[in-house]
Amino acid sequence: MLEVEGVTKRFGEVEALGGIGFQLRPNEILGLIGPNGSGKTTLMEVVSGLLPTDSGSVHWEGSHLPPKKRKDIIFYLPDGVLPYEDQAAIKVLRLFAEIYESPSQARKLAVEELGLGPVLGKRVGALSKGYRRRLLLALALLSTQPVLFLDEPFDGFDVKQVIGVMSLLRKVKSTGRTLFLSIHQLHDAERMCERLLLLSGGRLLGTGTLPDLRRQAGLESGDLEEVFLALT
Amino acid sequence: MRSLSSDGMRQLGILLKKELCQLLASRSLLAMLLIFSPLVGYSFIQAVSLFSEASRSALQHTELAPGMNPLDGVLVPTLGSLYLVTTLLFPFVAIRPIGMERQTGSLKLVLQFPGSVGLLVAAKAIAVFVLWVGALSPALLALCFFGGMGGHIHPLELVPLLLGHALYAFVILGAAFLISALADSASTAAILILGLTLGSWVLDFAAGSQSPGLLRDLSQLSLTASIRSFERGLFSFAVSARLLIMGVALLTSTAACLHAGDTFRSRAKRSAGILVTAILACFLVSAVPWYRDFSEDRRNSLPPEDETALRQMTGHLKIFVFLSPDDPRYRDLERQLFSKFRRLISGVEIRLMDTGKTALFGVGGGDDYGLNRYEYEGKAEESRSTSPREILPLLSRLAGKTEQGTSSFFYPGYPLVADAERFSRFSFMA
Repeated sequence: MLEVEGVTKRFGEVEALGGIGFQLRPNEILGLIGPNGSGKTTLMEVVSGLLPTDSGSVHWEGSHLPPKKRKDIIFYLPDGVLPYEDQAAIKVLRLFAEIYESPSQARKLAVEELGLGPVLGKRVGALSKGYRRRLLLALALLSTQPVLFLDEPFDGFDVKQVIGVMSLLRKVKSTGRTLFLSIHQLHDAERMCERLLLLSGGRLLGTGTLPDLRRQAGLESGDLEEVFLALT
Repeated sequence: MRSLSSDGMRQLGILLKKELCQLLASRSLLAMLLIFSPLVGYSFIQAVSLFSEASRSALQHTELAPGMNPLDGVLVPTLGSLYLVTTLLFPFVAIRPIGMERQTGSLKLVLQFPGSVGLLVAAKAIAVFVLWVGALSPALLALCFFGGMGGHIHPLELVPLLLGHALYAFVILGAAFLISALADSASTAAILILGLTLGSWVLDFAAGSQSPGLLRDLSQLSLTASIRSFERGLFSFAVSARLLIMGVALLTSTAACLHAGDTFRSRAKRSAGILVTAILACFLVSAVPWYRDFSEDRRNSLPPEDETALRQMTGHLKIFVFLSPDDPRYRDLERQLFSKFRRLISGVEIRLMDTGKTALFGVGGGDDYGLNRYEYEGKAEESRSTSPREILPLLSRLAGKTEQGTSSFFYPGYPLVADAERFSRFSFMA
């Protein structure tokens, strides 16, 4: 289990994260939701060890996990990156497969499930936005860390593709990996995640399953959107 | 030093392959090569043409032949284009591995790769340096062409010459890496590194002919000044080690700056530690007076007997030079004597006195202008000469010695009249 305790992050005068704490249970899909600028990406980068924290700690299976060691446990896929645009997609996939020593099944799964076959020989820079997103997801699937942090994994996909990616991520979960997803679309988050973290203004406003969040919002019924509006 | 594990070597191999693929696909490298090849060709053809013109006289008047040295006449000017390219274009290639990854966000992915940040930086540095070495091929081709035309190349002279350029490129590479690790974007990094390389060049160019002072002292620290001794066929351990330490310190600082999850304070602290260690190491290696003269004409050496006698001068030798820094006589003294004194006599102090002559057409400061004064252990002598044949006996007299060195060494010179125009086709093809 990954345990985050009292994580605080300031950018000058602005407090981006104020004492965030949560648990990521083994083999679950945890969703991170919140309005724009609520600190979702910052939280992911801080916990994955890419950004320094001002205070707080991260534990893995009961032991302290220093920032330098976090890459052994967590793979974080940032949103909006464009790796190696002048290289062919196949070369980038091969690089990740080689560096992580990914099993050949994982390579096959990544290429087939994400439908990357037709564009493997194309330069990354020449790929459409949808294919770029698929390539990035494929790179995350080639990593071998037990915990995956994905920032906006459904961004750039149409409705049908989103369903496909959800199915793929469930398959990933079935292999024993734990997923932490930052999701902008509340409808997608509700369908995909087992538990949710609601972040706003760098503060954790609610955590738990949808019924838990409803209770925290004082609502008897309603979907995630209504809960979100009630809590923020 | 901890040896790299087999896992580390495997990762290094994968990263190196990735960096080489990326660099080979980059336009900056292509642009550098497209400019470098014709530039080498032009420098080489011009150098051979001038060397041939001078050689015509030398072939008619044999006493002029010893002055026809291919190191000065062809090798250094041809590799001068390499210096230009390393100063002006190579930084654009060197900022790419880190700068572009920062700009596109892929650095966040790469920093999560297994293995240390040091390994990542090492792979990038090796890839860039390998391509720099590969880019040497037009210059080496030119030298082979010169040999094919009947030109004389003393292979040992190439050792310090190529080493000097390689160390210079290594420092530029280190600086480009550090700047691209600190700058927000690749374009900002490009401006900053170009400012550094050009600044170093301008410092050397502008301050080199100034009167004694801070600016002139600073000019000695310029990177351009550091490769000059290599161009004279002299290997200096201190200069080589200083450049190597600078390059390694810059690369280590880059790795320190890229450490994910570290606070600004801890990165700054680590970088400062590296910098202080590097300065101390530079200071220590500067005290190692180990030189080797690789030049065929032994221009950096005096007759062995004189060298032994000068090394035995353990007292304080003061030389007051009443010449303007841009006076050819001062340059002769510096080249033929002072640079050697600094290597051989531990207690030498050479003071360039203010003569009041500051410009090329300035007026000399009275009758004393050009009359240099040598003081050693309470004795003093004056001389206007710039010749070792007069100054070395003068020093022997000051040191109270009578024997003088005699050198039987004779450099024949290698005049050559040749036409290098044919090389232009090769240079464009390369």
